[in-house]
Amino acid sequence: MQRLRVAPRKDWQAEVERLGFAYHTLDGETYWDESVAYAFSLREIEEGIEAPTSEIEGLCFAFVERALKDEEILRRLAIPETQWGLIRDSWQRGDRNLYGRLDLAYDGKGPAKLLEYNADTPTSLFEAAVVQWDWLEQAMARGAISRGCDQFNSLHERLIAAFGGLRNPKPERMHFTCVQGSFEDKGTVDYLIDCASQAGIDARFTFIEEIGLLADGRFCDGASLPIEMLFKLYPWEWLFHEQYASALAGARCQFVEPPWKALVSSKGLLPYLWEMAPGHPNLLPAYFEGDPRCAELGANHVRKPLYSREGANVTLVEGGAVRDSDDGPYGAEGFILQATAMLPNFDGNYPVLGSWLVASQPCGLGVREDTTPITKNTSRFVPHFIEP
Amino acid sequence: MKRSTQIGLAAAGVVLVATYWSLSGGETDDSLIYNNLSECRAANQLSASQCEQRFNEASANHLRDAKKFTSSASCEQEYGASGCQSATWNNAQVFIPALAGIMLARQFMSGGGAAQPLLPPTSSACPPGTRQPGSGRPECEQPARSSSSSSSGGYYGGSSSRSRAYTTTTGQAMVARNISSTGMASTPSVASRGGFGSSSRSYSSSSSS
Repeated sequence: MQRLRVAPRKDWQAEVERLGFAYHTLDGETYWDESVAYAFSLREIEEGIEAPTSEIEGLCFAFVERALKDEEILRRLAIPETQWGLIRDSWQRGDRNLYGRLDLAYDGKGPAKLLEYNADTPTSLFEAAVVQWDWLEQAMARGAISRGCDQFNSLHERLIAAFGGLRNPKPERMHFTCVQGSFEDKGTVDYLIDCASQAGIDARFTFIEEIGLLADGRFCDGASLPIEMLFKLYPWEWLFHEQYASALAGARCQFVEPPWKALVSSKGLLPYLWEMAPGHPNLLPAYFEGDPRCAELGANHVRKPLYSREGANVTLVEGGAVRDSDDGPYGAEGFILQATAMLPNFDGNYPVLGSWLVASQPCGLGVREDTTPITKNTSRFVPHFIEP
Repeated sequence: MKRSTQIGLAAAGVVLVATYWSLSGGETDDSLIYNNLSECRAANQLSASQCEQRFNEASANHLRDAKKFTSSASCEQEYGASGCQSATWNNAQVFIPALAGIMLARQFMSGGGAAQPLLPPTSSACPPGTRQPGSGRPECEQPARSSSSSSSGGYYGGSSSRSRAYTTTTGQAMVARNISSTGMASTPSVASRGGFGSSSRSYSSSSSS
């Protein structure tokens, strides 16, 4: 694993905009950064990232099985009791999941360590699936990297295939939703609509604020068309607490991600995984705050809210002192403490590896780096390639 | 190889992808289909010149490969009334099945790859009685042939049918389903609106990670 300087394309903004990538620059700062790239060996990808990702997904499935039989876990994860049935039913029906992203700390030497699982509403998908793929093709064509390179990235193909397999027979129509006012969320949803369309699905968009409730209990879109299948880039823990929460169970709607993903998208997953597989090379010791075993973590650890996004409210404690923290509105549901896996430092840059799963199959990698050890929404997305 | 072999991106918000399956209900495949040049242009997935090129290629291949009939009647017996066109082949006037459209495999959308000519359904797939509206076989319905269409243009007029029957150049019957023209069924009344989205306002604009 190396961090290499690669000359950006002269007109890189136009090149990525050609693909429909609108958020390459956020708040005046470069988000898509092709002045550098991470190089991996095939072995690092397959043994260091792909295999552990698959194994962790297996552990997560075992955890869902366990949590659904244990009310104490459901309470600990702050899942409202009124939604337990919805979650249980979705798991027992075998409702398919579409995608997820494991965030890993990996330096190419030791085993990758799971930082968290973005199982419910992961973004940075389009840049991983399409923009870096196109960058690779062009980088090889213009001789910026050697021609025999590859990339861990069959996301696009897998997404199209996964849409076709969400239901049997294949769904005819599907709705897609996200909040108003977020370029990044809308971009992600637009891309997924594109994939679903290519899978032969009639894909419709509606903002989450436009969703209505029909007299027969079903949800409807802004045009009052009933919603039978809904991809929502909107977290379950929010849906569970909003006005329509009580309508979820009776809506006769198949959700993507399915409700059972609420169990694995919480940071509360991490202490349970460690409990189920103590000493696992790809896991970090983690405990709920207040658990006496937190003392085992010592003075260096990370404090994370059960629910938080993009690094918000995460605190890095070193030698008992706060080294880096990010303010935010999260934390009401409690915190977990996790042993610190220091991200590798490449010239003052800290990369986090986003290891993608589509339909639970590992199939892609996206690297984001920041100049601080907590990856936030200010981090830059940098492309990667596999050396020949 | 550990990356996607091809990436195609349809214009956001424009659904142009159709699903195909054989009349016998066999395998499915994802492809793009354009019934005529203007449809191809309107779809905005290929440039206007690409559309023209694909239709010209398909048209030339079609003339070369299509079964030739010496009379209009014998052609129409196989491909249905108004399912044929006259053409000149080796300095002789012949009748061939009309070019009903072109099909592009999804994986060729952004790159090269020849367009496959599509022919009207044969009489065995769509017997004469099925070609009128209300026969219960909407895919066989034959809209009037537009007088303005050229040989490289459309065979079908502006049918609003969601599915259409074709014959491939290898003689296989298939039905294309146009998923972009879903009719709106009558729906129950809306009881309320706006019951989702309040959390995002109390956090930030982004609800993802």
